[in-house]
Amino acid sequence: MGPQNNPYQSQKAVIQKIIPETSGIKTFVVQPESGFSFHCGQFAELSVPGIGEAPFAMSSPCFKSEQLEFTIQNVGYMTSRLHAMKEGDIVGIRGPYGNGFPLDDFYGKEVLLLIGGVGFPPARTLIYSLLNEKNKFKRIILCYGARTPEDVVYKYQVEDFRKKIELYMTVDKADKNWRESEGVVTVLLDKVKVDLKNSAAVVIGPPIMMKFGTFKLLEVGYQPKDIYLSMERKMYCGIGQCRHCMIDHYFICKDGPVFTYEQLKNFPNIWE
Amino acid sequence: MEKYMILAPQKENGGLFMQPVIQDNVAHIVYDEARAAQPLKTFLLPPLDEVVGKKVQAEKPWLFLGIKACGLAALPILDQAFGGDFTDPIYQKRREESFIVSSDCTQPWETCFCTLVGGQPYPVKGFDLNLSKVWDGFVIEVGSLRGKTLLEGHDEVLKEVVREEATALEKMRNETTKKVEEQNRDFKFEKRHREVVSGNWESEVWERHSETCVECGACNHACPTCHCYFLDDVTRKTFVKLRGWDSCMYSGYAVTAGGGTPRPRLYERFRNRYFCKFKYLDDNYGMYGCTGCGRCIEGCQGKIDMRQALKDLVKN
Repeated sequence: MGPQNNPYQSQKAVIQKIIPETSGIKTFVVQPESGFSFHCGQFAELSVPGIGEAPFAMSSPCFKSEQLEFTIQNVGYMTSRLHAMKEGDIVGIRGPYGNGFPLDDFYGKEVLLLIGGVGFPPARTLIYSLLNEKNKFKRIILCYGARTPEDVVYKYQVEDFRKKIELYMTVDKADKNWRESEGVVTVLLDKVKVDLKNSAAVVIGPPIMMKFGTFKLLEVGYQPKDIYLSMERKMYCGIGQCRHCMIDHYFICKDGPVFTYEQLKNFPNIWE
Repeated sequence: MEKYMILAPQKENGGLFMQPVIQDNVAHIVYDEARAAQPLKTFLLPPLDEVVGKKVQAEKPWLFLGIKACGLAALPILDQAFGGDFTDPIYQKRREESFIVSSDCTQPWETCFCTLVGGQPYPVKGFDLNLSKVWDGFVIEVGSLRGKTLLEGHDEVLKEVVREEATALEKMRNETTKKVEEQNRDFKFEKRHREVVSGNWESEVWERHSETCVECGACNHACPTCHCYFLDDVTRKTFVKLRGWDSCMYSGYAVTAGGGTPRPRLYERFRNRYFCKFKYLDDNYGMYGCTGCGRCIEGCQGKIDMRQALKDLVKN
């Protein structure tokens, strides 16, 4: 039974490069044995052989299928083992899974990305896709918040992004070299003036940030149908079977991970 | 028949258990009476199964005897969950190759309540053959082409059902149905289960009825439709992957690497199970995740009775 007809089977991927981002975050550049096409906003199940598997969003451009990037925080059992791996080591990968971002919905609009911490990886994939058809979007605005200047990922790309999109950054706690805003990510929304009638907002980040980010967007005047959330929950299968990731009757892995707030707003406990 | 591994209900310590049929115990097969302890998922989706690495082709297909209507009713949920967009080839193979001989229920357990959730104690669909014990023989109903084929060439033991036998069968079925209805008289309500559950997110019933829960997961594991699982990687070399039964009652069920969980409190997990049974699965697969088999009541260490919990929600 090969990977083509067994949905639990991973293909092998070689870790080609490891880029340290922060003290607890690394970007893994991996090359899957037989290629891996995906749509931006989708995710993959990565496995450390003999250790376990977990879902991660790709952070590389979706029009590049021979080499993928994953930016991963060392936060649990599997990720700690992953962080201990070296270039040349083999990981497992299966997918892609999930719906991804509905780029068509964003055409002609001002796209506002409200991103927290390690929510940047899937956002970066989205930014690459938006830039790929830049003339189809009215504006691309990135509001990014991290805890401290050290916690900012893709520092080496910030200046490049600043040239191509409107970029606002903040940290919860600044140091003396920090020249951007200070405070939680929602403070950035006070600086951005958008055309609410013609804007879509994308929220990605830790649960608490997504909760208050969404509330702030509603306060600013966004409609629930114009707020796009990339959701996360405990997940095993990625294929709508194991039921761990459910929000009400939705499988985050299959019906999501991207939902509009309109779809979820009536369900309790969506942020936990 | 050598083609199959035959499993049939056998009596043991006052219960009925699906056991492999061998020469010595053929005479002890209990076709009628009631459902066995193990649901069919035990064999189609074993508690711990190698989903990557195994040569499933080597397995002999199952032939199930004495399956009751409440067991058959669970299969469309499993078929949809493990079919569809990402078909599990192992489940699919086992399911397609299994031969199901069902039987009428004649002596329901005290915990049986199929009639409360739209079922009935005799099979009407989902079997290859159904055997109803009437007097000293069986009335056989054919439910599939495979069932029909199996009977071909056995005319020496088959005869047409006569009117008296048909009447006796109908009478027997009505009596069993009445018996199930009678033992559940106090638990009956008119409202749809879906509405009863989904209209009661905030109810003291969840906390009250989960007070004695010890989070053992027996309700999940005994349930014929519960199918939540975890995946586990086991060897460094070949990407072997195990799939095991999980339980939404466990506190760690939905805990993420960061430590968060949407249901930290026991009553929240308890409530979630009812919502899954009567709302989420209904949304996903167009049917309730409860067939009234009563195994969750029978297996509960805390004497939690789903029928009483539902009835108390209705009273709210």
